[in-house]
Order: sequence, then C-alpha cells, then structure tokens
Amino acid sequence: MRIKFTGLLLFSYLFFQQTSTAQDLKEKFTPSVSGVIGFSYESYGLSRSPTGWIGYSPRKPWNQLRFNISPTIKFSPNFSLPMNMNFSALPIAIPGAFAGIKSPSFGQFISNPLNNFGMNPKYKWAELQLGTQYLKYSDLSTGDIGIFGAGVDLRPKNWRIKFFTGISQQGVNYSLGPPSLTGSFQRQNWMAQLGNEKEGKYLVAINFAKGRDAVTSSSPAPLTLKPQEGFVMSLQSNLYLQNGMYIKFEGARSVFTKDLTKPLDSSYKSFKPFIDAHTSTVADYATQASIGRKSKNFDIGVGLKFLGAGFQTTGYPYQQSDRIEYTLNTRFNAWKNKDKTYKMNVVASLGQRVNNVSNTALKATQFIGNLNWFTQFDDHWSLNLSYNNFGFESASGINPYGIKNVSNDIGFNPTYTWSNSKMNNLLSLSYNFSKYNERDVLTGLTSSNNTHTALLTYVPTFFTRDLSPDFSVLYFYNDVPGAKISLTTISSGLGFPAAKKKIRLRGQLQYTIGKLNSFSSNNNLIASCNVDVKLNKKLTWTNFMTTSYYKYGNEILPNGANYLESTFRTGFQYRFEPKIKK
Amino acid sequence: MKKLFLFTLTVLLTVSLSAQLKIDMTLLKNPPATLTEWANHPELLNLIISARPGAPVQKFVIKVGFQTTDGTVIGTNDLTRSVVYTTSSTGAPTILHALEVVQMEIMVFNGKYRTSLQKTGKLPSDTYMLCVQLVRPVDFSNLAEPLCKVFYMSSIQLPILVKPYNEEILDTKAAQTAITFRWTPVIPRLMEPVTYRLQIFEVYNEQNAFIALRNNQPILDQQITSMTQFVWQPHMLFDLSSDTAGLSTQLKLRLEKGKMFIWVIQSLDVNGNPVTQSDGNGLAFSEPEVFFIRTGKR
Repeated sequence: MRIKFTGLLLFSYLFFQQTSTAQDLKEKFTPSVSGVIGFSYESYGLSRSPTGWIGYSPRKPWNQLRFNISPTIKFSPNFSLPMNMNFSALPIAIPGAFAGIKSPSFGQFISNPLNNFGMNPKYKWAELQLGTQYLKYSDLSTGDIGIFGAGVDLRPKNWRIKFFTGISQQGVNYSLGPPSLTGSFQRQNWMAQLGNEKEGKYLVAINFAKGRDAVTSSSPAPLTLKPQEGFVMSLQSNLYLQNGMYIKFEGARSVFTKDLTKPLDSSYKSFKPFIDAHTSTVADYATQASIGRKSKNFDIGVGLKFLGAGFQTTGYPYQQSDRIEYTLNTRFNAWKNKDKTYKMNVVASLGQRVNNVSNTALKATQFIGNLNWFTQFDDHWSLNLSYNNFGFESASGINPYGIKNVSNDIGFNPTYTWSNSKMNNLLSLSYNFSKYNERDVLTGLTSSNNTHTALLTYVPTFFTRDLSPDFSVLYFYNDVPGAKISLTTISSGLGFPAAKKKIRLRGQLQYTIGKLNSFSSNNNLIASCNVDVKLNKKLTWTNFMTTSYYKYGNEILPNGANYLESTFRTGFQYRFEPKIKK
Repeated sequence: MKKLFLFTLTVLLTVSLSAQLKIDMTLLKNPPATLTEWANHPELLNLIISARPGAPVQKFVIKVGFQTTDGTVIGTNDLTRSVVYTTSSTGAPTILHALEVVQMEIMVFNGKYRTSLQKTGKLPSDTYMLCVQLVRPVDFSNLAEPLCKVFYMSSIQLPILVKPYNEEILDTKAAQTAITFRWTPVIPRLMEPVTYRLQIFEVYNEQNAFIALRNNQPILDQQITSMTQFVWQPHMLFDLSSDTAGLSTQLKLRLEKGKMFIWVIQSLDVNGNPVTQSDGNGLAFSEPEVFFIRTGKR
C-alpha cells in the first residue's frame, strides 16, 4: 500500500512538474500561495466536590492540540495544488467504536479519520485526489464517509470520470477495558463514476461503490459487529430547464452481506465479479426523484424517496432503509413594498414517511409539517411565526394499542426596533410552546408533555461608540407526568475593540436557577471571554476562556454536590494572501 | 377386554420402538427477524435430544420446517446436505443450538418467503412455527416425534429522531439554557425496558458531521431508560466565533447557519447490548441528525 502510494505521489509530481513548466514558458506566471496555516491548543479542566463524587463526567479530552494547514499553491494558471491537513497532535483515548488506538503507527496516524491529510493537485480538467477525502458521488451510492486513499477526478469536456480507493476505518481490537472498546474491522472502499455533465443543464452518471471489511483485521474481533461487504450501483440523471424547472432522478441496486463469516451461498444472487453472495446477503433497490421549479420569489417542489428493506450501502452506514417518503416544499415572497422588495417570506414543507414497505416489521407512518412565516410590517415591527408538526403512528402488533406520538411546536417571535441619533435599539420576544403526546401501548392512555420557553432580548447598538452589549431573560418550563422542570436564566454580553481595534474582546455572563419538582434549587453561573488579537495583516491570535460553576439542589446525593468546569483555547492563524499585480 | 389390552400394548410398544429418541426444544417467542442472526445467539434455541437409558448409539439428522400458523410449510432444510449427529454413548442428552439446527445455507424457502429473505434477510412480520424432527440419515425415516414451537417475528425499528428537527437552527440564548431532545420509541415494544443512549457531538469547523460522530468525544453521553425525551441543560457557553478564512465555500455556507452539532440515539437492551445487530450499522444507532446553534445576532 505504502509503495503504491509513494509511486502515485512521484507520478503526480513528475506529471504536474512537466505540464506546469511547459505552461510557464508560454506565460510569465508568478506562483502564489493562498489559504491558512494555524494551530489551536485546548485545555479542559473539571473539579468535582465533594471529593470522590463522580456524578458528573468530563466531556472533553483534557488536552487537545490541533493543526490546520490548508494552503493552495498555484504554480501556473492551469496547475494548482490545494492541500488540507487538519490533525490532532496529542493522542486521544476516546472510548468509541472507531478510535482507541493508543500508540498509533505513522500509517495509522495519517489514515485515522480524526485526522485529515489530503492534497488535490489539479491540472486543467485532471485532479488527483490523495490522502483523506470526503467524496459524495450521489445520494444513494456513497457520500457520508471519509476515506484515506488515492484516486482521480477527470473532467475532459463534459465527461466525468472518477475513481477512488482507500480505507474508511481501521481495525481496532475489541477490549473489555477500561476503557471498553467495541472494536472495528478495517474497511477498504472502492468507488467509481462515469458521467456526462453540463453544469446548470444536465447530468447523467452511473456510480459504483463497494466496501469490504477485512475479517482478520482485529483480534479479538468486535463482539457486536460483524465483518460486512457491500456493493451498490446507481444511475443518476438531473435535468435543469431554462424556466427554472428541474427534474432529478436516481435509481440504485445494492447487494450487501451482513456477515462475511457466514458461508457462501449460490442460491442467493451475487453480482460478480464485484460481490459473491453469502447466506447473510441481501439485495434490494432504492430510488429517489424530485421535480420542481425555482424562481426569485417562488419555489415549489415535490420529492419522493424509496429505500427497500434490504437496501444497504457502506457509503451511508447510518441510513435507515425500508421506507418510502414524499414531501412537498415551497417558498414564496408576498406583500410588496414601494421599493419592490417584499414584506413577507413564507417557507413551508409537508411530508409523509411510511416505514416497513417490506412488511417485515410493524407498519409505522410519520407526518411532518413545517411552516416559517416572516413579516416585516414596517421599519419598527416584524413578526416571525413558526409551526412544526411531527406525528408518528405504528400498528399495534401483539400489544393492545399501537404507538402514537404527536409533537406540535408553535413559535411566536415579534421584534420591535427603534432608533435615535445616537443609537439603535432592538427588543425581541420569542415564545415557543411545545406539546408532545405519547400513547401507552398497553393501556391506551395518552400522556402529555408540555414545554414553554419565553426569551426576551434587548440589544442596543451605539452609533458613536464601539460597545456591543446585549441583555436577555429566559424562562423555560417543562411538565411531564412525574417531573416538572423550571429554569430561569439571565445573561448579558459585551463586546468592544481595544488597542486601535487590533484587539477584539467579548465577554458573556450567564446565571441560571433551576428547579426540579419540590427539590431545592440548583444554580449555575457561567462566564466566558473571547480575545482576538490581530498581530499583523496576516497573523491572528485567538483566545477563548469559559468557566462554569454548577451546584445541584437536593435532587441528587450527596447533598451540595457541585463542579467547576473550565475550557481554555488559544490558537494562531496565519493567512496567506497572493500578491496582486498592479 | 383382553383384545383391547393387547391392542393398547401393541400400540405403545410400536410408538416406543419407533421413537427411540426424545426431543425437547426451547425457542424465544420473539427472536431476531434476520434469520442468519439466529446463529449468533446460543440462548435463542435449545434442542435437547435424549436417548432411552441403555439405547444403542444412534445417528440422526434434523429435519427442520418453518410453518405458518395454519400449518402451511414455507421452508424446509435439504436433508441430503444436513449434518449427521450421533447420540452420546454415555446416555447424556445432546444439546444443539440455532447454529446447528437452523443452518441457513441448506434451508430452502418458497414463494414470497424466499423473495422476502433474499431481499431483506427476514420473513414477513407474522406468527410462525418452527418444527423439528429427528430422522435417520439414509432413508430419513422417523426417529422421534416432531416438535413445533410458535414464535412471533417482527423486525425491530430503531427510533426516529424528532426534535431538534434535522438542520434546525436554535437560538443561542435559549440553547445555552436548555435543549429538548425527542425521539420515537423502539418498535415493537420489547418485553424489557429499552435504554436510549443520547450522544451529542460538536462538529469542528473543518469536519464532516459523520466524521465528528465517529471520532470526537461526545459533549453529552446520557442514558435514558424507557423515556423518549431528554431536556439537556448544557451548562456551557458555546464559542460561536468562527473565522472562515481558508475554508471551502461549502463550509462557509454551513458556518453561516451556525455552530454545527450532530446527535444520535443508540438503543440498548437490559444487558447494555444493541437491541438489533443485524440492521444498518450493527450497533443499533438511529439515523443521526444535525442542528445548529445560531452564530451572531439575527
């Protein structure tokens, strides 16, 4: 693997060296560098009291040092070399499924998905993709995974020829711990696309994606995960018409083996030479289509998505299959002003999703409706209304009643602004009522869960001073059977420049008093501060400090439990700026 | 009377001789819907084969049949490819599990059941019977009376994340005090309570949401039993300053919405194991969703 990778690098260097030299002879071009380079260090602290109490867990690594190097070197008008390197320099032992390698080798370090080491040398229509890449070929083939490997993206004329192969996850041994590790199998991925595209006009492409776990890549192997293999092929076509109309379609077929340790089985459909079927292999279809029209003041579109119960891909590992959903989306502007702008903007969507198309589970349907309605009545008043509905219902199965959950959220947000010669004032009230009903599948009784949130914000803006303060009060109340939570928060922020605007300071202070049922109140005081220093035109020093003190009421033992949690982050960022010829 | 006695004795002797082996079986009432998954659960099926005391060592194969409740046979195993077992010479009972009894590579299903299995790895949601019978290896004649057990099969549907809605942009001040998370329950309702593990991850500016989900330390990792709502009080102020220099156009557009977080629910059984290991990612993680905390003033 390493030899292949080095070979590819050498080839790309020689190729681009030749082409750029030839180009440079024709035009006197000055190579340039743009982008950023920087690093940030974050320190996290947690102090709990009384000693020995562990009721609150740390939520960040104690130390993190992350580097961000993203320069783009332009050797000639046609040849550029963008690089993207984001990596963590301190080992982090995170008890997760795909991490936990305490002493990584160099290969493991650079191919760890937590770190990105990528470069994409590009000459005219040819792009070489090296290192960590996040590639999305289409919605049904591959798109949600980061892969460390090598490939190409070639676009001669209207053609699209893409290929990439690499590792998306490493083999991690199962460990009972501490820290316990689920473990994982090393997964090799291959993907390819062949298509024809004219931007803004049409796209026709055929996509292939395959992932395969190495069965022997972890020892002991994960207990709850099985080595898998998946192959998907999709046909994608998009058409954009001149009047803003669009039609999009993608159909896909997947063959997926859920457990590679199961025996091969010729009675199941293989897709040779890409994948051989085992007894745990499933094969199914998926499709999605949308049609609509977009314009400056009015959009409308309908969409349909179907994922068969056996449709599964390695490119979208979290996708839930066995469903069909259809949505109607619209956006429009209304109520013209004198200057021909609009006072009103409405965005709405309506949809239904049905689970269990295959009839291998209980049928469940969801209804989803969203509305956001904004109106600017005049120079002073504006109002935003929002409504969200989510309804979920399933068949009863062996229970007397099926599940029926309905969530309704209504938001009401008027804003009033006024100004004089010295300042502008903004007063905003935001009230949200959320009701969530749940039916018990055994008794059929419905319980209600109501939440009220009210937030009042005042923001003055001074015309003659550089101070930027804000003040707010919030009340939150949640009522479920057996538990009533109320929270009251007051907060304020202040931002201002210093040292001839070379330093930008911003502080926030927030105090919350909370209450659960009849227990005594809990208290939370948080302070934070940002200090951004512009050292010169290209170099910036950023700092962020926050500390939170939380004292519990008597709802937990031991009484008086409290903690102090702090984060400090500092970083430098240098910005490359190409020289502009006069 | 004498004739009746002789007849009864003859019948009993015949039955006794033909049924030289005795079988007993335990089967979970609601086993995993994916049939290949059965082999990974020894506790799911126990087939106990006992020979009469002093009986000679006997070779046998297991005839397996899946039936609907009206007795229609929907799948059987290919006896010619079945493993031949031998009873213990010591007379100790032989105990076999799903791995040995339901060997998927020699099971043959018919009609819509075959189609369903090839597409999904599962049978349609319904009540079925699993019938086993011990037969001789050569002529497949009966060695023990068949035994059937009823089971209900329904695929587990993982929770769907309800709130915050996917890509919802939350007000900073409200989010710093409390964020309500809601999801639908596991379907069908399991016999024992389900523990929902709620995890929230901060997505660094240069990260893809799914990379953050798989690699970052969660800023909340909370287990909630039976309930499908959690009010998270972050007790923290989010650093919402974001320098977009050097970032791609796509990332800049994302940062305009605010600071991105991704959240997910993992459904665990009473032993802390994923409630289903055969679907999707194999760890019973629902399809994650993202939300934003608005940066700057509106």
